[in-house]
Amino acid sequence: MSLELIRDILVATVPLLLIFPTLFAFTTWLERKALARIQNRIGPNKVGVPLTRYGGRFSLFGLGQPMADGIKMLFKENIVPRDADRLFHLLAPILALIPAMLVLCFLPIDFPWINNIQDSVKAFMLDGAVIFFFAITGLNTLAVFMAGWASRNKYSLLGGMRAIAQMVSYEIPLVLSAVIVVMMVGSLNAAEIANAQAGWNWFIFTPWGLAAFIIFFIAALAETNRSPFDLPEAESEIIAGYFTEYSGFKFALFFLGEYIAMFAISGLAVTLFLGGGAGPGVAALPWLSVIWFLVKIFALIAVMIWLRGTLPRLRVDQLMGFAWKFLLPLSILNIFIAGSALHLLAGGRLAGLDEKQPILRQLMEGANPLVVAGLWIGALLILYVAANGLNQLSRAKVRPREYKYAE
Amino acid sequence: MSEQIAFWILSAIAVLGALVAVRKRNLIHGVFALMIFFAALSGLFLLLLAEFIAAVQILVYIGAVGILLLFAIMLTERVAGDDGRRMTSRGWFWGLVVAAAVFVVLLLPAIQQWPTPEVTQAPDPSVEELGHKLMNPYVMTLEVLALLLTAALIGAVTAAQGMRKPKEEGSPE
Repeated sequence: MSLELIRDILVATVPLLLIFPTLFAFTTWLERKALARIQNRIGPNKVGVPLTRYGGRFSLFGLGQPMADGIKMLFKENIVPRDADRLFHLLAPILALIPAMLVLCFLPIDFPWINNIQDSVKAFMLDGAVIFFFAITGLNTLAVFMAGWASRNKYSLLGGMRAIAQMVSYEIPLVLSAVIVVMMVGSLNAAEIANAQAGWNWFIFTPWGLAAFIIFFIAALAETNRSPFDLPEAESEIIAGYFTEYSGFKFALFFLGEYIAMFAISGLAVTLFLGGGAGPGVAALPWLSVIWFLVKIFALIAVMIWLRGTLPRLRVDQLMGFAWKFLLPLSILNIFIAGSALHLLAGGRLAGLDEKQPILRQLMEGANPLVVAGLWIGALLILYVAANGLNQLSRAKVRPREYKYAE
Repeated sequence: MSEQIAFWILSAIAVLGALVAVRKRNLIHGVFALMIFFAALSGLFLLLLAEFIAAVQILVYIGAVGILLLFAIMLTERVAGDDGRRMTSRGWFWGLVVAAAVFVVLLLPAIQQWPTPEVTQAPDPSVEELGHKLMNPYVMTLEVLALLLTAALIGAVTAAQGMRKPKEEGSPE
């Protein structure tokens, strides 16, 4: 292994390990602040930023809170239940963090410093980057189960079981909605997918892309255990579920892993549907693409926080029904719609397409605007009708309650 | 050179993982050891530049088979994982014989052409090539397999539903 290769690997990975945990600290503050405002509270506002001269006096909206939290977590006692499986209890938080950190390298963020390193080090240039992403995020389930099982606590075990059932179910619509994008680009390479959406050709601006994005986002919420899908850690039912028995820094690691997973899956959503680093001014100033990418990630995170402050938690039976009876058929239908739409747009030109170019872009070039408009309206109509029908079908059959003795 | 080192490390992890998976009394520990074995195997595929197979190895074997095993254990009463019961070791001799036989049969194609012929044309295990192969010569096979799996899925659902009693008229659900 040459020295250059080692340097390239370090240049590609170390900044990710620095940037995203820093953003994590900021996001916890943002989340607490936003939730507080939604609930008509003030939120953290006392802790200032240390090492500044007026650290204590000017609290800067409580921006120092994450640092104080981190230090507090480090100094807390590490409690392991007597009956717990010590090895697994220790390994679970680490296993929760590793896959989340690992998938960050599949995000095609054009950091200025990675332009000089060789392509073989860039994971997002891998031909199967999207598959790898899904394969590795799936490992998170194992960590959650490990934590739940190793704690020897019935609430933890319940949380672990819920997590497995939920993650396995929601992974399917997640992957199926990503398939749409792969169909439109003709590649699994994350960088190529992002490049195919340069300018304003974002895939969210196609009907099937929009539907896929909504399905993807809902499934992503469930995959990262975010509210309203936070059943594995439902505080009011099973007392924080799988990390009931975790304290101190192990708990912090879980927390970190969860937020990094949020960043990663939002980053994938940005890559697949929201144009990656595309945005105004990128052509003139290439480094703006990094800013746009992070801004889009934070926009999605903000929606997640907003939803957490707004929606109540699902029941377990609703959870499974929603995944299998609503999201799954809808995403399969969406694939059919996307396939037929691409076929109609092509009108017999499919064989003559250049493999190296994004498929949708080539099809749109010579397409009749009337056909395009008809396709869009038709696709949206079918999706709307299908979503409504599925909603009617999957609604739990509950009769209105009869009050025998009241009135 | 670095590939050699990576190969030996991954192989050692794989063999150790497999051994632990077989030897551990604790079921859950065994499953996780098995997953370590799968992960090491995926690393070996990566070393062979077969990145798609490596990803699928993780996706299918760790993400699906491993989780399924955990699910199965969770549904039994031995959730705690370890029980004091000892496994009976009768028949270990024949077990060993069968294992050796399977190993030999698996290696048979390699053994038959023992002085390994020089590889003249390097295979291209890229995802692109795989896609072309799946869509051009093997598309029928792929479709038949997909149909078979769908049939298995529907069959499983039907079997799991069991014989449901016909509902009586007007009875509340």
